[in-house]
Amino acid sequence: MAATRGIDRGRVGSDAVGRAFAGDLAAFVRVQKDAGMDFFSDGLLRWQDIFRPLTEALGVKPHTLVRWFDTNTFFREPELSGRLTMPADPDAVAPDASVPRPRVTTLPSPYMFSRAAHTDQDRNGLMLALAEQVLRPAIDAAVAAGAELIHLEDPWLGYSGIAGEDWAPLTDALQILHRDLKATLAFHVYFGDAGPHIDQLLKLPVDAIGVDLVQTDLKALGSGWDKGLVAGVINGRSSILESPKSLVDVARHLADTVRPRNLYLSSNCELGYLPTPVAEQKVQRLGETARSVKQLVSV
Amino acid sequence: MSEVLEHKPLLTHEVGSLDKPGWRVKAYAGKPLEDKDLEEARIWGDRLQVPEYERLIDLLRHAPFTKEQKAELQRWSSLYAVRLEESAGLDVVYDGEQQRTEMYDWAVSHSNGFERRGSVRAFDNKYYSKEAVVGPISLRSPFHNAEFSYLVSVAEAELKIPVTGAYTIADWSFDERNRTPENLLQPAAERARQRHAARRDFVLEVARNMIRPNLEALIALGARWIQVDEPGASTEADELDLFVDSFNASVEGLNAMFSTHLCFSDYNLFFPAIERMEQCRQYAVGFANYDSRELGTSDAARPGYQVIKKFRDLPYKPALGLGVLDIHSDFIESPELVRDRVLYAVKVFGDPKRIHVTPDCGLRTRSWKVAYEKLRNMTAGVRLARQELGLPTGD
Repeated sequence: MAATRGIDRGRVGSDAVGRAFAGDLAAFVRVQKDAGMDFFSDGLLRWQDIFRPLTEALGVKPHTLVRWFDTNTFFREPELSGRLTMPADPDAVAPDASVPRPRVTTLPSPYMFSRAAHTDQDRNGLMLALAEQVLRPAIDAAVAAGAELIHLEDPWLGYSGIAGEDWAPLTDALQILHRDLKATLAFHVYFGDAGPHIDQLLKLPVDAIGVDLVQTDLKALGSGWDKGLVAGVINGRSSILESPKSLVDVARHLADTVRPRNLYLSSNCELGYLPTPVAEQKVQRLGETARSVKQLVSV
Repeated sequence: MSEVLEHKPLLTHEVGSLDKPGWRVKAYAGKPLEDKDLEEARIWGDRLQVPEYERLIDLLRHAPFTKEQKAELQRWSSLYAVRLEESAGLDVVYDGEQQRTEMYDWAVSHSNGFERRGSVRAFDNKYYSKEAVVGPISLRSPFHNAEFSYLVSVAEAELKIPVTGAYTIADWSFDERNRTPENLLQPAAERARQRHAARRDFVLEVARNMIRPNLEALIALGARWIQVDEPGASTEADELDLFVDSFNASVEGLNAMFSTHLCFSDYNLFFPAIERMEQCRQYAVGFANYDSRELGTSDAARPGYQVIKKFRDLPYKPALGLGVLDIHSDFIESPELVRDRVLYAVKVFGDPKRIHVTPDCGLRTRSWKVAYEKLRNMTAGVRLARQELGLPTGD
């Protein structure tokens, strides 16, 4: 934080920023190892928002600063007017080599990307173009770099919903990402109640659906899923630490009632809304919970 | 009913923060000062004609600094900032919050009931600190009195005091009064109901027990115009009524002019909720961030300002502090661009007395050089608009 502030003000050099990022990444990897995570993330520490490395790879300028849903965080609208060009550097989103394997790579979902962009294009057309020309190359690069789980974030669908006619193009876009993919593809809806969308979500061509369980009633999930469930059980917007025991109860309930093909325990949203010490404790609690659940339930 | 101060048409003022000079930051943090820091103090002291600035240079040569000397350095920083704004030609000024750590941190660190938790990213490489409320909230000590008293003694222009509002304080804090995490096995609707009730209690407690007593203390010292900063006001679209209730609870019955600063939001969300905010005599709102940089006074030329019609139509007819400077960019708005933004707003409002002219927000993310150039062009643009409208230019 101090290093990036310093470079913005011309008070430190890029070497100092690089060292600071490396130190932060090493610390975050250590936290994940200590917690016993099954997939390792680079924490997107260098990303100024969820779109930035992708838009930079596209060579487009970040546009207006816009509030990120109902948070005190802001993103710069990707300026995607006109035709998309192929990204100059699809490797821009690949995790750093120091991140242990197996890795999880987080990316914006094509639906959210197309809706959050500043564009003069038809948004469903843009969604397909983003899937084909930006996200798929980025996913392939991430998989080549050891990603086994591709986590598509979609708070847009959770917060703002989706029109009925947009499900088909979203399905097409996800099909582009899922075709012949040598990794698990998860589509994670958060910042809203996924309950009204569950039937449609379960038809999407992905391997797992992520749900924000702070916002979604467990009963709305139904039962007998033929996909994995990324259960957002840790509240990424509250500093109050969850009790692993109560989370184990939730996990058991999900395993018994929803019966997903795989059960992934996760936070309901990014942990970037929490100060690092709080986020680290939450990762620890998540790890404790997962260890207990693995002992209790065969999933 | 809050006071209405008589102001000239197209009044100009700043919104809040300015960057802190390197000499002030380093000296306060106990870091070694370099020649360039002293040179910065000399150049700006000379440029702004800060009285006796050589005394500051001399003081800066005598590190390490005592607590009293650090306080003196903060006052120098305030004086420089006031002179910067006055020199740029603003009608109403403050000190760019030079004596505060930051708009949120300063407030909560002078209040009871909060504990520090750490920092989170706001945007780009900008972060803000977050605290958690863990017990009853109260004001430990009035936290703007010292700076206000000092500024009264040095400012030549009228003062307007920026004060962080209750809703924003609450929204940027964690609520840990009830440390029990949600039980996800409970119905989601019941959990949401409990969250909303706790949130209302929290926001109104901040308004009544923290913000209002601080405002009362400022008014007792002679403050006449207080700007309640609410950058977080539209964060939760379904809480606009709560934001309004918190503003009213903060200022109801107090004898000063109250205004509100809103920024970086979908301003449409504020309507109709703020129709109940009659105590607010002016809204200072950021628009330039959303606008074109082309000249023109038509609707098409001014896309960032289309929502101002809604502020015009508020039943209690507040003034609009028209944000004309994008504070997230080093782009220097030309006087002609400022002029056209102002002329467009006057055309929409039909009354230049209801238009005040401001930056979009505090300029603390810009260097002093950029901030100064932007502000000078802002006042130059207002002069052009006055000429166009046949108003006195003050030249």
